Amino acid sequence: MRISDISRLSWDQVKRRKVVTALCAAGISIGCAAIIVAMSIGESAQLYIEKQMNSYLKMDEITVTANTGVKTGGNSSPTDLTLQDQGKLTEQKLDVMRQIQHVKAASPYRQLDYMELSTIDGLMAQNATEVIGTDLNMLTAFGNSFMQGGSSDMEGTIVLSYGATMGLVDELTRKNIQDQLNANPYDETVFQQYQNLNRVPTALYQKQIQLRMYSNDGPVLSMPLRVVGVLKKPAGVSDDQIMYDKKGYISLETAEILSKELKRGDDTGDSYNSIIVKVDEQSKIEQVEKQLQKLTVTTQTNLYQKERLASEFKIIKAAALGIGVFILIIASISIVVAMTMSTYQRRRQIGIMKVLGANLGQIRNMFIVEAALLGLLGGLLGVLFSYWIVWGINALIMNLSGEQDSVIIFIPLVTIPIGMAFALATGILSGIYPAISASRTDALTAIRRD
Amino acid sequence: MLRVEQLSHSFMNGNESTAVLQQINFDVHKGEMIALLGSSGSGKSTLLNLMAGLMKPTEGQIFIADHNIVTMNENQLAEFRRKHIGFIFQAYELIANLTVRENVELPLVFQSIHPSIRKKKSLALLEQVGIPDKAELFPSQLSGGQQQRVSIARSLITEPSVIFADEPTGNLDTKTEEEIIMILKRLNKTMETTFIIVTHEREVAAQTEKIITLRDGYLVTEQETVQEGIVAGGTQIEN
Repeated sequence: MRISDISRLSWDQVKRRKVVTALCAAGISIGCAAIIVAMSIGESAQLYIEKQMNSYLKMDEITVTANTGVKTGGNSSPTDLTLQDQGKLTEQKLDVMRQIQHVKAASPYRQLDYMELSTIDGLMAQNATEVIGTDLNMLTAFGNSFMQGGSSDMEGTIVLSYGATMGLVDELTRKNIQDQLNANPYDETVFQQYQNLNRVPTALYQKQIQLRMYSNDGPVLSMPLRVVGVLKKPAGVSDDQIMYDKKGYISLETAEILSKELKRGDDTGDSYNSIIVKVDEQSKIEQVEKQLQKLTVTTQTNLYQKERLASEFKIIKAAALGIGVFILIIASISIVVAMTMSTYQRRRQIGIMKVLGANLGQIRNMFIVEAALLGLLGGLLGVLFSYWIVWGINALIMNLSGEQDSVIIFIPLVTIPIGMAFALATGILSGIYPAISASRTDALTAIRRD
Repeated sequence: MLRVEQLSHSFMNGNESTAVLQQINFDVHKGEMIALLGSSGSGKSTLLNLMAGLMKPTEGQIFIADHNIVTMNENQLAEFRRKHIGFIFQAYELIANLTVRENVELPLVFQSIHPSIRKKKSLALLEQVGIPDKAELFPSQLSGGQQQRVSIARSLITEPSVIFADEPTGNLDTKTEEEIIMILKRLNKTMETTFIIVTHEREVAAQTEKIITLRDGYLVTEQETVQEGIVAGGTQIEN
């Protein structure tokens, strides 16, 4: 029997028995949609969290530090200074790093310290700001964008993260609220006011600030630095998180001056104490890391976080898939019932076909193809449903969160063939019993009229 | 062409065996048109079902085109029916959701014949049975007589060795009955197809070349008929 004939005869039956077709297809479509939606939610959530983690843990970056070699203990400090210098981070090494394939940007970093930031007019932050010396022109290459201003090569300038502009309050105001809180430690309103002090941003662009550091000789105040740029608030991060992310970026030259001024004594000479390398794709991190290690440097990535996350999401996705498969099993029962009923209703027709020469295999194939068509229809409907469901979930998330950049569920293309395959398999598997039962119909009993 | 040898069949009714056919022997030659005549319960339908391979006899052999169908399994019988046997039913038994042409083509579908060949053959047969204009209609849009013509065309499409017609005029009025018998006779002559017609009506049986009369499971007479119609000295059938 030709495939086209089997398909046509089976399709005729699917078209003819509209209610049965609709019920079976609806059952399968729910299962198929459940699989697609569950997998999509898992995938989207993983991507969202990865994105969040990336913005926080910078998983597409490699931190390169000087390689100090292996120390064997005792007094065996390296005597050969040339050997010791091999692990240093030099200008030449930085140039080589920038040439490595998949390296998007490489910038020297010099972490000065955590320092208190204050304005000339007496506003002061309670939490310290991390001051980093780097190539300011490379800030945007590392995923930062400016809310105000931009980078500058001039000495005595600073670029602040959005978090660094938060929580600047004059000493008197802070003291007043602290006193009120001490007097009424259970007053929720005062506590809220105290909390809000750290959340309020101050317009610092083009203003002068000073950095204060505490050394053994007591507090040391830096020269005034002009704020030439303020970075944008990172997407998807709450104010409560941002207010602790206080960073001030200064040029390496300014860092040198500040280091001397604040008597830090960490002069690294003609080398850097770290270099951050940004890679174009997370998947290339390992490849780039291996290349970097050839330069006798120490490397560190946060890639293990991603692996940990992937293994956790693997469990979540497997559970989601399990739920979808369970729904499909329930749906398959409806097909078995509907097809078995259909077999009994069509016994006469099956009998006639057998008398006209249809063999067991031909009858069986017609029923299996019919069940497969039901599965296919259910699968197609399921894909459609899954898009509606995801659209609904997204609308709900946006309404509830009120944020445009909250978790947005998307349907990865790979989930569609997976959902369709499950739907088709459900159709075929549930059609096997009714098909065998149909093929065993006794022709004589079927065509006999009492 | 068709030979029945020592054919007996009995049904089990609980522990009791009821014989419905006993020691039946006859031959049908190629191109013959014969009638199996008998009243209700005479065993004629059982004999037809046995000859068509729809039942297995308790004893005896049935040869069609030199093949012993008694020894065949279900799939071999399906294959054999597909090539050698045509059926005409009393109630036409057309598939309601297929058009007239598709119904006629159906036996060829099971033989994997190309659609264009099927179409050509089915239209030619519909022309022969006098309903070429009904090809794309559904069975429900036809009269009883027209539906039986479709059934006749369907039985002929595989060019079988023998066609079994089970009370082919049983559901038709007298005028249509005559038309259908005329068609069967004409096709028997022109296509040289062997017809075995099961009937309880003497008038229908009289239109064939030979009448095999059954009574209570026994073959009682086997007579040639005269072309004018009624058989002289034939057995009276009680309806």
